[in-house]
Amino acid sequence: MLHSKDSRVRRLAHPSICMMIVIFLFALCASMLAACTGGGPAAGSSAPPAEGGSSAAAEGGTEGGIVIYVGTVLFDQSLDPVKGAMSWGYSCISSALLKVAPDSTYVGDMAESWEPSADALTYTYTLKEGLKFSDGSDLTAEDVVFTYETIRDNQAENGQVDLTRLASAEAVDDRTVRFSLSEPYSPFVDTTARIGIVPSDAYDADAFTEHPIGSGPWKVLQYDANQQIILAPNEYYYEGAPSIPQVTVVNLDENSALAAAKSGQLDVVMVDPNYVDEPVDGMHIQRLETMDIRMFGWPVQPEGEVMGQEGYEITFGNAVTSDLAVRKALAIGLDRQAIVDNAFNGVGKPAVSFTDNLVWAAPGDPADNRKEEAKALLEEAGWVDTDGDGIREKDGVDCAFNVYAAENARYLLAVAVAQDALELGVQINAISGTWDDVDRFYRTSAVVYGYGQYDPVVLKDLLYSDYYLTDAFSDAVGYDNPQVDALIDKAVSEPTQEGAVADWKQVQEVANADYPYLYLVNMEHCYFIKDGLDISLDTQIPHPHGHGVPIINNMKDWTLG
Amino acid sequence: MLEPGLRAVTAALKKPVPRPLVKGPNTRTMVVATVSACLAYLLVVFFWGRFMDPGLYAVNYADKFLAPGAGHPFGTDFMGRDMFFRSIRGLSTSLVIGVIAAAVSSVIGLALGILSAVVGKAFDKVVLWGVDLCMGLPHLVLLILISFMLGKGAYGVTVGIALTHWPELTRVVRAEVLQLRSSVYVQAAYKMGQGRLRVALRHIVPHVIPVYLVGVVLLFPHAIMHEASLTFLGFGLPAETPAIGVILSEAMKHIATGKWWLALFPGLMLVVTVVLFDLIGDGMKKLLNPHSGNL
Repeated sequence: MLHSKDSRVRRLAHPSICMMIVIFLFALCASMLAACTGGGPAAGSSAPPAEGGSSAAAEGGTEGGIVIYVGTVLFDQSLDPVKGAMSWGYSCISSALLKVAPDSTYVGDMAESWEPSADALTYTYTLKEGLKFSDGSDLTAEDVVFTYETIRDNQAENGQVDLTRLASAEAVDDRTVRFSLSEPYSPFVDTTARIGIVPSDAYDADAFTEHPIGSGPWKVLQYDANQQIILAPNEYYYEGAPSIPQVTVVNLDENSALAAAKSGQLDVVMVDPNYVDEPVDGMHIQRLETMDIRMFGWPVQPEGEVMGQEGYEITFGNAVTSDLAVRKALAIGLDRQAIVDNAFNGVGKPAVSFTDNLVWAAPGDPADNRKEEAKALLEEAGWVDTDGDGIREKDGVDCAFNVYAAENARYLLAVAVAQDALELGVQINAISGTWDDVDRFYRTSAVVYGYGQYDPVVLKDLLYSDYYLTDAFSDAVGYDNPQVDALIDKAVSEPTQEGAVADWKQVQEVANADYPYLYLVNMEHCYFIKDGLDISLDTQIPHPHGHGVPIINNMKDWTLG
Repeated sequence: MLEPGLRAVTAALKKPVPRPLVKGPNTRTMVVATVSACLAYLLVVFFWGRFMDPGLYAVNYADKFLAPGAGHPFGTDFMGRDMFFRSIRGLSTSLVIGVIAAAVSSVIGLALGILSAVVGKAFDKVVLWGVDLCMGLPHLVLLILISFMLGKGAYGVTVGIALTHWPELTRVVRAEVLQLRSSVYVQAAYKMGQGRLRVALRHIVPHVIPVYLVGVVLLFPHAIMHEASLTFLGFGLPAETPAIGVILSEAMKHIATGKWWLALFPGLMLVVTVVLFDLIGDGMKKLLNPHSGNL
């Protein structure tokens, strides 16, 4: 009996512990092996592309097609333009009326020309001749009207484009569409570059999620959820079918993607900045320009409480970041180049405003790292280190604030900023959290945001005071400047795009003087490209936000050598 | 049919007592020494980590990715943080969570185990049902559920681990109590008119203590491994806390570029800690078990 007591206790503890240790050691050994054998075949076999990707990779290679890994965004969302698919300006399946040119201006894609009316309430688009969908049917004004009205009527399913101001769309003839707006809205032109046209006859909300029919250069041949999407050229594309016979987009994690690249299974691999210096046989690293910005949003309101719409008190504001001196001191005093080097392995460019590869961006003063000037500014405002701990105080309040980062790369950025800010005597606590945390704390703490888009209406989202306290992406900082509000209203109601661009520039010039956001880095996207594959650098557009996917924007121009 | 205790005694008497071939410290001394050494190591790690100056593992970009060497025995990571001090600090965090989890789980386990065997059939059924419910779910899934529900972080992990390690201990204690309850002296106590609670406290609990203590010690490695796994999977401690799970998951990113020391040393520290707890548990069992305690 006493013996059985023994074994009972042993059973309680031993087997599972041993299992855990064994599993742990095994995992450790496996990863070490993968690391040590580097580019050898072992790396490939120990980390093959996930879930059947490897066989597809092999097939793709033998058929003369290419296999690419461009992050996971394509797999996370529907491919149906009505539900907001690829509305950031890099659709390759469903073409829109307009598209972005490499110089960030708009040119016609399905549309040949477009014309706003003098009162900015009517926009007339004329389609190109002889357009066809990938199923061979004609693309006419009817299809455009159908697409726009379907999105407007199901606006709740599409958080990417805003058609609430579209009063009616009308097919004047087969090639002419007239849009009537309920109020002037200059970003409507940007919107028309973001909505892929779907066929009115063949549209099926369920099927289009995986197999959309569009008028773009590519069509979906095979869709394996969360594994791979196989694209084939659309022979009906108006510029002629692309030359690459097949593209397989695979879904991997970053480490497996690097391992697969080293074993020669992939032709394009998006990589983390940490991997850019890795030697990969037969591939070269390519950095591509983006308009993607990382910045802090920080509360500009002093601390306070307000009764929210839901009927309970909302605490908002921050005693430190509401001081303009602190915001300005950080904006001019940080060494952004050092931050890029430390956080992103030197991949990325310092940014003090939205990037000048956007037509509407107003450049800021690029001179930063002015530490002495920043320190003087803080001292003048009363922030002085009196207790000798290296952090300034004012009226018993430490010059310190929290910044939430909802993603690993953003957390690394926040840590690098915090490190540099210490030299100014400002303590920034970088906290890695989830988007739920951001939602909970954005009113009282700073947040690392990422923005990169062609549509200038983002400025309204960032700065328009009516939006405050609605959500973490609408004037999250509590910026409230009547002059800026008026300028935004003016920009939105401009009849011409030129006029709107001028207004948007003015919005930024006025607002940036108050430093409602701390612009930090203009990202660069890094890819390993197989030697012999030409990704047509001349026709690449500056990448919008998209975690690596935007490289496919000009995939129709790629050629295999 | 002999009474179980008596039968054990006669069996022990029949067995020849092994004599040590070499003169030296006997098994008991050895066991005491081993257990003390393990305990000392763990206490040192615990207090060193607890009261460590955070400056020792602070970010220092000038020293990025240094391989293990004189200045940094475990090397440095992508932010130039010293991996040795970070590991020690992380282990002490794990130990704290282990202590809390063991304390809570053991109280729940002891109370339920004894009550289940003493109070009556219905209560026993409910407890067994609860045990089966908890053990029927994969442990890690249960942990993730609780931790995620409580908003992750130290709070979520600690509560999750504290609330899920009691079923096994409850089972052991309950079985032990059931067996004791049928023994003659306990039956005698009942017959002499002593109350249930008095019998439980005076006659049953003292005999359950050894099994219980060993169970508690062996619960530690479980708790620590679970804390590390939960954090590794991203449902536990946040990235800014030095914790073994965080260190290991960060290391995964850099292991592909050959930074082997980021995972190896902290991983070994974790394994060593777990093994030491196991040694302590085994040692305690030898000492507390009257059958092996005096060899």
